[in-house]
Amino acid sequence: MFNPSAKLKVDPRDGKLAMAHFFVAFTALAIGGLAGLLQTLVRSGKFELPAGIGYYQILTVHGVVLGLVLTTFFIMGFQLAATSKTSGALTNKQRIAGWIGFWLMTAGTVLAAVMILLNEATVLYTFYAPLQAHALYYIGLTLVIVGSWIDGAAIIMKYAEWRRKNPGQPSPLLTFMSLVNTMMWIVATIGVASTVLFQLLPWSLGFVETVNIGVSRTLFWYFGHPLVYFWLLPAYMAWYVVIPKVIGGKIFSDSLARLSFILFLLFSIPVGFHHQLMEPGIDPAWKFLQVILTFLVVIPSLMTAFSLFATFESFGRSKGATGLFGWVKKLPWGDARFVVPFIGMVAFIPAGAGGIVNASHQMNQVVHNTIWVTGHFHLTVATSVMLTFFGISYWLIPHLTGRTLTKAMNKLGIIQAVIWSIGMTFMSGAMHAVGLLGAPRRSSYSEYGGAAQAAEWIPYQIAQAIGGSILFIGIILMIYIFINLAFFAPKGEQEFPVGEAADEAEKAPMVFENWKLWLGITVVLILFAYTIPFIDLIQNAPPGAKGYKLW
Amino acid sequence: MAKTELSRKTKTEIEDSSSLKGTLASVFLLGFFLIITWVGVYLLFISRF
Ligand code: HEM
Ligand SMILES: [Cu+2]
Repeated sequence: MFNPSAKLKVDPRDGKLAMAHFFVAFTALAIGGLAGLLQTLVRSGKFELPAGIGYYQILTVHGVVLGLVLTTFFIMGFQLAATSKTSGALTNKQRIAGWIGFWLMTAGTVLAAVMILLNEATVLYTFYAPLQAHALYYIGLTLVIVGSWIDGAAIIMKYAEWRRKNPGQPSPLLTFMSLVNTMMWIVATIGVASTVLFQLLPWSLGFVETVNIGVSRTLFWYFGHPLVYFWLLPAYMAWYVVIPKVIGGKIFSDSLARLSFILFLLFSIPVGFHHQLMEPGIDPAWKFLQVILTFLVVIPSLMTAFSLFATFESFGRSKGATGLFGWVKKLPWGDARFVVPFIGMVAFIPAGAGGIVNASHQMNQVVHNTIWVTGHFHLTVATSVMLTFFGISYWLIPHLTGRTLTKAMNKLGIIQAVIWSIGMTFMSGAMHAVGLLGAPRRSSYSEYGGAAQAAEWIPYQIAQAIGGSILFIGIILMIYIFINLAFFAPKGEQEFPVGEAADEAEKAPMVFENWKLWLGITVVLILFAYTIPFIDLIQNAPPGAKGYKLW
Repeated sequence: MAKTELSRKTKTEIEDSSSLKGTLASVFLLGFFLIITWVGVYLLFISRF
């Protein structure tokens, strides 16, 4: 399909909006990276935080700033840019919505950050009750979410406008994907917004004495699993649509990409119990049902893997590659826009394998609350997703600022990714290994009263500190490249790569754009998976919990 | 003689123009990796619980 807008640049006014998001995101990367380094150093047992700063305060900074702020801001900026690029410039109204969303999110971030720094909210990024933070922390996080809804509204309005103007046409692929992720995000955040507004906020303000912890955790994880897919889908957007163009190949199938996104929308939400497999108060039959739904997500994941291999192989063979793996050599190994996200894809293989283990109901007992889990999501979000976001930045930032990625920066980008991989192999590898030996996550350095088992963990903790230090070098390099691309790189034109489907005649079936159908099935699945256990959690609840401030 | 040549030629062309056998091999390797990881932790689970 020839897409006339594919030639255009992102409108500079939309570019500014996206860049505003990226400035916050990369500031978060710098702060959160420093916190991460300090955590690994403390846990090695060789270093203590100065001035009485608590380990869990640092860990709260790290989780909030990287897990919530960096990701949300980057994703919103990227999706706005991708929508503007593929469906045309935002209207003034849409752009104003984007700016309102941006400023609300920023104000909320600052508020939450101030409360964390004042040591009034050392409750980690999951803010599980009965840990009780200052009310302003919850208000700050609420503003971030409301802001993200308004930001998302800009994308929804643009999509609706495009469909109105192009009746009977499937929407541009990147717009479609941004829309799916936005809708998944809105449906998911209703859960966390509910627990914050109806439970935690009134409780921290003293309006109610106690809170139902089971309900609160269930609402959190109703949001928490789609949260990780909200991080992942923008990376998939780049893998499906951008990477084929970068390497000079084609999208394997436009329809397959849309189908996999729809499947993620359906199966990412009614699965939160896989984070609560070890919790009381939920009938194992309902846990099992959600485990089955979780395993359905394997389908679109493997579809993605297949489609990416096929894109690479088709491209390699079109360049004359022969043999079983000859095509691997034809890929552009000197291009950071390809290599960096490619390393992210490779990391997703052990990451996905670990995820299948985590979700396997009873097997979760082996890894639950051990640092294996931390090792797992530093492969998923902190490697697969992050390296893909870095790879996106290498063309998107200069595209938006009217600059170019120089040869030197391209090379530095590849070096950055190699450093990241080495650091992460040490840190995440050690976390996985020692997690299987039982070492807990979310815990400061301790010798556990001289226990022999805890002594076994220490060499792995030192390996994590080595990995963390290497990773921190990667963070510094990334910040340097970002500043270069935003302010100092030479002026010029940097392409926004948007791939075309291999089969140009293939028109995606219009049923993919039938949101009444897909949102309808989403809601039905959610009601099916959650209604009865949720009623159970309320009717058979133990006495509510008072708030605790344990720091 | 002519027959052998013909079949040899057809074979190379079919093999390399639009073949996705590398993709097939890759997804199989991926699948084996998933299974090995899972079985490894499963055995650990069985030995512990
Ligand atoms: C310099 C790079 C990084 C280092 C050294 C690092 C280190 C760590 C360590 C040691 C922990 C676990 C601490 C504990 O459980 O006691 C942790 C937790 C975490 N990290 Fe990282 N990390 C890095 C980058 C990232 C990135 C890029 C992200 C996300 C985009 C991320 C997200 C998280 C989250 C969400 C947690 C969980 C916090 C919690 O349990 O409350 N990290 N990190
Ligand atoms: Cu999950």
